[in-house]
Amino acid sequence: MKLRPEWNGALVALERPHALVSVNRAWARRLGVKDSPRWRGDDPGHLSAPTEVHLVVSKRCSAGCTSCYVDATPNGPALEARAARQAIDRLAALGVFHVALGGGEAMDLDYLFELAHYARSKGLVPNLTTAGLGLTVEQARACAVFGQINVSVDGVGEAYRRARGFDGYAHAVKALRALRASCKRVGINFVVSRSSFDELPRVVALARSLKLDEVELLRFKPAGRGTATFAQEDLTDEQARALFPLVRRLTFRHRVRLKLDCSFAPMVFWHRPSVALARFFGVVGCQGGNVLASVMPDGSLTGCSFGGPTEASIFDAAGVDRAVESGFQAFRGYAARAPDPCRSCEYLSLCNGGCRVVAAAKGDWWQPDPGCPRVVAFRPASRSVGAASP
Amino acid sequence: MIDPEDPRPRILGVRFGVNPNSSSLGIDVTFLLFGGAAAVFSALVASVLLRGRTPVVLHGEDQEKP
Ligand SMILES: C[S@@+](CC[C@H](N)C(=O)[O-])C[C@H]1O[C@@H](n2cnc3c(N)ncnc32)[C@H](O)[C@@H]1O
Ligand code: SF4
Ligand code: SF4
Repeated sequence: MKLRPEWNGALVALERPHALVSVNRAWARRLGVKDSPRWRGDDPGHLSAPTEVHLVVSKRCSAGCTSCYVDATPNGPALEARAARQAIDRLAALGVFHVALGGGEAMDLDYLFELAHYARSKGLVPNLTTAGLGLTVEQARACAVFGQINVSVDGVGEAYRRARGFDGYAHAVKALRALRASCKRVGINFVVSRSSFDELPRVVALARSLKLDEVELLRFKPAGRGTATFAQEDLTDEQARALFPLVRRLTFRHRVRLKLDCSFAPMVFWHRPSVALARFFGVVGCQGGNVLASVMPDGSLTGCSFGGPTEASIFDAAGVDRAVESGFQAFRGYAARAPDPCRSCEYLSLCNGGCRVVAAAKGDWWQPDPGCPRVVAFRPASRSVGAASP
Repeated sequence: MIDPEDPRPRILGVRFGVNPNSSSLGIDVTFLLFGGAAAVFSALVASVLLRGRTPVVLHGEDQEKP
């Protein structure tokens, strides 16, 4: 169990079961923290460091997915093993709890498992997402080092090929079976796009039949090769509104845990959940540069894997410290300058205006997320059609 | 608003599971579906899990230690 003091008390990371618990100062004192420099002064409005970091170990992959946000290619750049270990050292020094190793196809790197064990030795929980193509039984066994491993499945059978551009469905299912046999926590990543939306029930049913732990839903992002197809694949307003009720139905029907990525927060808040409950369970929107950050294969530290300015090099300790202390303004600075309807939205402090990367792709980084149903309803043209929050 | 010096020990939030997704933050909406009782229950579970344990305290290597 690890504890990191924060302004309001502390964050405590548990491993069995995996949980991140936020406690106030009185609880932190009970756990042995007498005092902390972080308890002095005013609320800085952000964490002392991210709780999880996405380490993009390579942009190398031969699958060639049509809409890969990393724009991964067979000869893409990769971090050297030594540099990857240095990056882990820096994250451990910051007090980061989880590191998601990603790419590209991280499984193709010969040092992946060694790096995952190295992260463990430094007190970080390593996690992984893979396409699972050609995963061997030995590799599946070695994956037990990960806290959780997810395999990308964007549709069942032919729908997988339509979404990703190649026929990898059988490989993905084979990988999931092998991983289920040797790893504690296994799940599916499913990219929700206009064309894949109707596949979601089938993918959740697949997760149940394979006895997986969860399905994580990712909003289709306009980044890398996804930029060109975003206009066709961005969810319709009807789909955006229907997503959370569908998630609710599927959770109860299949008893599989469904997670939504941060960019889907506006689609959840449209259904007006309790603010206090959402805060308690960490149902939050854009957390770039606060809960979350990314490190690219050239070592650049950014607030989000999908976009945003480079804040420092991960190899520059002073630069990284400066960034976590006062940087990431492209993400952290949204709420203070939010225009309506975000400014008057009761969820602003949680949602942070939706996805900056989507906003930027639609013309302005600082505009409210154009896919938020409340933002759509606020636009003059659509007000006349009587759009209302339920 | 949180009063950081509230003398009563309080669980302010709980996030179960880890985030394997290597791109964005996964938000778990499961507990949202069960309402306020889920928060009370989760806070109780978290208290039981924390009680009597001694954590490793991470201060950040470049920060002043208390
Ligand atoms: C870039 S992949 C890297 C890991 C591995 N190669 C794989 O395919 O799972 C990481 C995750 O991002 C998802 N992804 C790829 N392009 C995306 C896009 N344009 N928008 C949102 N998610 C995307 C993938 O489906 C996968 O779940
Ligand atoms: S810009 Fe914000 S909401 Fe969008 S994916 Fe990045 S962290 Fe999440
Ligand atoms: S109006 Fe803005 S803050 Fe409110 S839910 Fe939509 S994007 Fe989030």
